[in-house]
Amino acid sequence: MSDLVISGLRKAYRRTDTLKGIDLELKHGEFLVLLGPSGCGKSTLLNCIAGLLQPTAGDIRIGGRSVVGVHPKDRDISMVFQSYALYPNLDVERNIGFGLEMRRVPKAERQAAVARVAETLQITPLLKRRPAELSGGQRQRVAIGRALVRNPAIFLFDEPLSNLDAKLRAEMRVELKRLHDLLGATIVYVTHDQIEAMTLATRIAVMRDGRIEQLADPETIYRNPANLYVAGFVGSPAMNILPATLAVEGTRTVARLEDGEVAVALDESAAQSAGLSVALGVRPESIRLAVPGEPFAISAKVELVELTGPEKIVLARLGRQGITARLDPNSRVTSGEVRQFVLDPAAVRLFDPATGKALVHAS
Amino acid sequence: MERRPPVQTILVYAAAAVLALAILAPFAWLVVMSISSASDLSSLPLHWLPQTLDFSRYVKLLTVAQHSAGEAFLSSLRNSLEVSGMAVLGALVVGIPAAWAVSRHRQVGWSIYLAIGSYMLPAVALSVPLYKGLHALGLLNNVFGLAGVYLSILAPFTAWLLKSGFDGVPREIESAAMIDGARLDQILRRLTLPLAAPAVTTAALFALMVGWDEFFYALLFTSDERAKTLTVAVADLAGGRITDYGLIATAGVLAALPPVIIGMVLQRALVAGLTQGGVKG
Repeated sequence: MSDLVISGLRKAYRRTDTLKGIDLELKHGEFLVLLGPSGCGKSTLLNCIAGLLQPTAGDIRIGGRSVVGVHPKDRDISMVFQSYALYPNLDVERNIGFGLEMRRVPKAERQAAVARVAETLQITPLLKRRPAELSGGQRQRVAIGRALVRNPAIFLFDEPLSNLDAKLRAEMRVELKRLHDLLGATIVYVTHDQIEAMTLATRIAVMRDGRIEQLADPETIYRNPANLYVAGFVGSPAMNILPATLAVEGTRTVARLEDGEVAVALDESAAQSAGLSVALGVRPESIRLAVPGEPFAISAKVELVELTGPEKIVLARLGRQGITARLDPNSRVTSGEVRQFVLDPAAVRLFDPATGKALVHAS
Repeated sequence: MERRPPVQTILVYAAAAVLALAILAPFAWLVVMSISSASDLSSLPLHWLPQTLDFSRYVKLLTVAQHSAGEAFLSSLRNSLEVSGMAVLGALVVGIPAAWAVSRHRQVGWSIYLAIGSYMLPAVALSVPLYKGLHALGLLNNVFGLAGVYLSILAPFTAWLLKSGFDGVPREIESAAMIDGARLDQILRRLTLPLAAPAVTTAALFALMVGWDEFFYALLFTSDERAKTLTVAVADLAGGRITDYGLIATAGVLAALPPVIIGMVLQRALVAGLTQGGVKG
């Protein structure tokens, strides 16, 4: 049975629609990440699930039961807030046990539950401290502990790592992954950080402007974005989008780039009618330097070379278009020279330039 | 730490001393007057420091005898405590929910400004309607009636002060408590009010001072020891044909003590509230 079912969910504030019809279904043990830029409605959606906001229309079912109009405490959820929202006047033990205390769980039972959670999160020595006496990472653990202790049907996370520094964020990301594997919990997680989304999620919902643009597992989102928006939002550096026209050359379908200089080989499954104009998408890591004499090579003028350490990011000019390639750090490329590049035919994606929708889904 | 040149240090201390003197001198003079003999106070040139210490006025005001100044003073002290106490308590009871509602629901925010607006009306403008109202209710010359009037003065600005205190408590904390299963009253009692303790204390203290020092309405709406408050009683001491400045000063000193003591106690709570916070994430 699905732990969470959302159907036709709408939320309007005065004249603006923040959520414009959200449908999704979450199975037990799934880790769903709501990914999108600020203002896309992802936090609003989370707050609707939590019951902190009332949806204008639609239904939310948790564990098969509609929770629209149900008080947050009766929804069998717990939530970790961006600011942690710890109770500053209570010590860590009471912070974690607060939910149980409010639910009149006997003291001994409560202490045992808190001790268990503290053990899992390795914060046992901190139980008598106040939140003000904790570091950012420790506060984060306490906030997670407070959510864990009640063992709810669904955990909600609202950008929980965004207040941490980069190193700690990476650590907590691993920690969250570990916890999810350990507990098999059902999680809805809001973030604007695509690394968090890619690493944590079993499924990602990429949101824009109150709608879900694509709902799929991270690999599909990355490899087969449903539209140009998802293609541009996920991945850094972003996917190269080049205007092109399809043509047939012999047995192969090729795409002519708009400036007419070169053609690109396409997967045979991508048999498209000739003359169709498309937006061609290719990830920077699917572009490599051509071997001399290699067919379907395109020449571009290298404008900038950035060595990041594990890779070399090359920005080059192809006609009027800029392209980004992610090359081996040992590649000999210098800015100013004109080089031949090859696009991996299997990694090329085509989109309808008018609607932005993906035309081909190579599986 | 940055070192200041000595001249600057001297100037800063001098300025502080002048300020302290300006604030404390009147009260110091009040205390001196209260323990000076009548002859010291009326001699020319004035004896700034008393030749002999005279505590008789304290005895006079603090002993209860039929129709004595002491009886009138002590009953007015009791009335003042009752009226101010009830009014402050009432202001908090009314102000806390009002302030919370305004702080958490911006759509009703206008109401607090309306309430504050009513506070801008001069007391004189309201005295006649209030008098008629109290009369109709049979609450003239009655501590409950006067406390009710004070409540109408105190509640708006108490709510206003409390609102700014509640504004400082992150909403997410209340949301978290809500999800944790706390009822609204539990959230207020266990989290919001303790976290807003400095604002609550300030509001209570301020309300107490305003209520304690109020004179105009007390003068209009009370007539004898059943409801007369300290401010009116002290004024009565000055109203006779022969005025004993020493006695008025003594009454002033005694009248100042309760709020000063309460203020000091609350001050502790206030400082404690400030240090235990740590709301910042």
